[in-house]
Amino acid sequence: MKNTRSKWGFIAPITAKIRKNKLAYYLLIPALICMFLVHVIPMIWGVTISFLNLDIHTITDWSKATFIGMSNYINGLNPITTIGERFLRSLWNVTYYAIVVISLGYIIGLGVALVLNQNFKGRTVVRGLILLPYIIPDSVAYAVWRFMFQSRIGIVNRYLLDWGWIREPAVWLIGNKAIYAVMIASIWKGWPFTCLILLAGLQSIPNELYEAARIDGASVWRQFRSITFPLLIPVTSVLLLLSTIWTFFAFNQFYVMLGTDPGFQADVPTTLILREAFSSFHYGIGSAMSVILMGIMAVFAIFYIKNIRPGEEMV
Amino acid sequence: MMKRKTRKIIKGVFLYLAVALILISVLLPFFWMVSSSFKSSLEIQAADIKTPGQEPSWIPRSPTLENYITVNKVVKIADYFKNSIIISLGTMIFCLLIAVLAGYSISRFNFPGRTAYTVSVLSTQMFPGILFLIPYFVIFIWITNTTGLPMRNTYWGMIFTYTSFALPFSIWMLRGYFNTIPREIDEQAQIDGCTKVGALFRVILPLAKPGLAAIAIYGFMMAWGEVLFASVLTGKDTTTVAIGILRYITTQENRWGGMMAACVLVSLPVLAFFTLVQKYMISGLTAGAIKE
Repeated sequence: MKNTRSKWGFIAPITAKIRKNKLAYYLLIPALICMFLVHVIPMIWGVTISFLNLDIHTITDWSKATFIGMSNYINGLNPITTIGERFLRSLWNVTYYAIVVISLGYIIGLGVALVLNQNFKGRTVVRGLILLPYIIPDSVAYAVWRFMFQSRIGIVNRYLLDWGWIREPAVWLIGNKAIYAVMIASIWKGWPFTCLILLAGLQSIPNELYEAARIDGASVWRQFRSITFPLLIPVTSVLLLLSTIWTFFAFNQFYVMLGTDPGFQADVPTTLILREAFSSFHYGIGSAMSVILMGIMAVFAIFYIKNIRPGEEMV
Repeated sequence: MMKRKTRKIIKGVFLYLAVALILISVLLPFFWMVSSSFKSSLEIQAADIKTPGQEPSWIPRSPTLENYITVNKVVKIADYFKNSIIISLGTMIFCLLIAVLAGYSISRFNFPGRTAYTVSVLSTQMFPGILFLIPYFVIFIWITNTTGLPMRNTYWGMIFTYTSFALPFSIWMLRGYFNTIPREIDEQAQIDGCTKVGALFRVILPLAKPGLAAIAIYGFMMAWGEVLFASVLTGKDTTTVAIGILRYITTQENRWGGMMAACVLVSLPVLAFFTLVQKYMISGLTAGAIKE
């Protein structure tokens, strides 16, 4: 700051700038109202509720709900209580689910992106077609997979039986296999997005690099290892963070394929919170569990923003 | 010379095999959806993977339109379609209006707080719905109780909710689109006597039509397929198609044929719209993740 005449001297240019750009703020008002009413206020309110004993009796007048301190959090995280046990298990389930879905989704997405980056006839059409799983509504896609995974009338079991992998119709959507059925469906629905982003990343790699490598006699594998993959790392880091967040909060696939209660072995935090709040009417505990997730989430969000620094490119 | 040619052919064959494999795995569930929608309910129910001749099959044994004709009989899918169309169109219109103003603001003005605002837009987009669902529901109940204004199970309650969800991505995408339009164009319009807002509506928006179409359809598709909030905040007057198609399966009866027919009908508008704006939508999606 050059302006050292007074402590608050730097304010004047800013207020002048604000006054000059009044219109810019007016134009933002509607968007800000929406953001405040749907994101900011509910988030603050959610933290408040998580300290209250809010249930079916007090929901109509939440100010009558008693303040119970941390006990919603303690109950939610206590492995001895039923709800705590289920919450911790759901955190484990979703972590396992996220690791499998993200890593397989990334490998498939990268593989397909490498294939589609080649020149062949009909490439544009194929590129449009692979996006189909990504664009159809979640409930449609997962309803179809739910049908395909039916034990007696589903097409999946038919092939498993034909190929001799199973003897009796496997029950996919109840019990310990349920989470795998959801994983398969989610990978099918999720990888096209990864592929789309990676493909855009691949196309931004200058061709000269490969030409130079070829002149030096580098093999295809060597080119991938030394050019393609290192240059995809920025895109990959953004992608992995985004998909970690999305996968961690997966709800639609579990709800559509397995219902509101996917069972102990396939329960995830989202379905548990929904049941706890809207079937058992324990809004307080539900909020406390949401806040715990929000905390985990915040770490990722900060990491993400630090990584891509959306402000920098605009200046 | 010959060797190189054979190598090229082998590479080509592998490439096409890979592409074929990719396409098959992408399209098979769609094929199953469409084919099952033409199966009779008898064929679906009597299917048994262990009985030869009755295994579930890819091709309907006796194709029928039964599922489409009776699609509205037990599950009132036509009503859900009406609800979804109203909510999705409402979302589309409001989201478009608000995002145009905000996108223009952060694209054209260099005001204090712009970076902070842009970052917060991006970060709200990352916060998943489940974090807001309970407090949002409690606020809805509270508003209704204190003011008598119905919030749950109303069209405008849903439109407001979905508009807010669609906004961050729309603003982000439009900002990028406006940035590609040279500033000289608005300056020229202002020299010609337009106000800044006038320049936006008369000059910039006509140039940004493809971008506008893309975010309009994004808003529509988001509201059309949203499940979590719809499952809690809609009631019998506002059930959307995304929730409606699940009603074909009840504890008493499984109408898979009807469900698949409904799935086809629900997917059609989305597929049609997406085909229209595919190019712009893809560039918008990838621009967010890739630093140019």
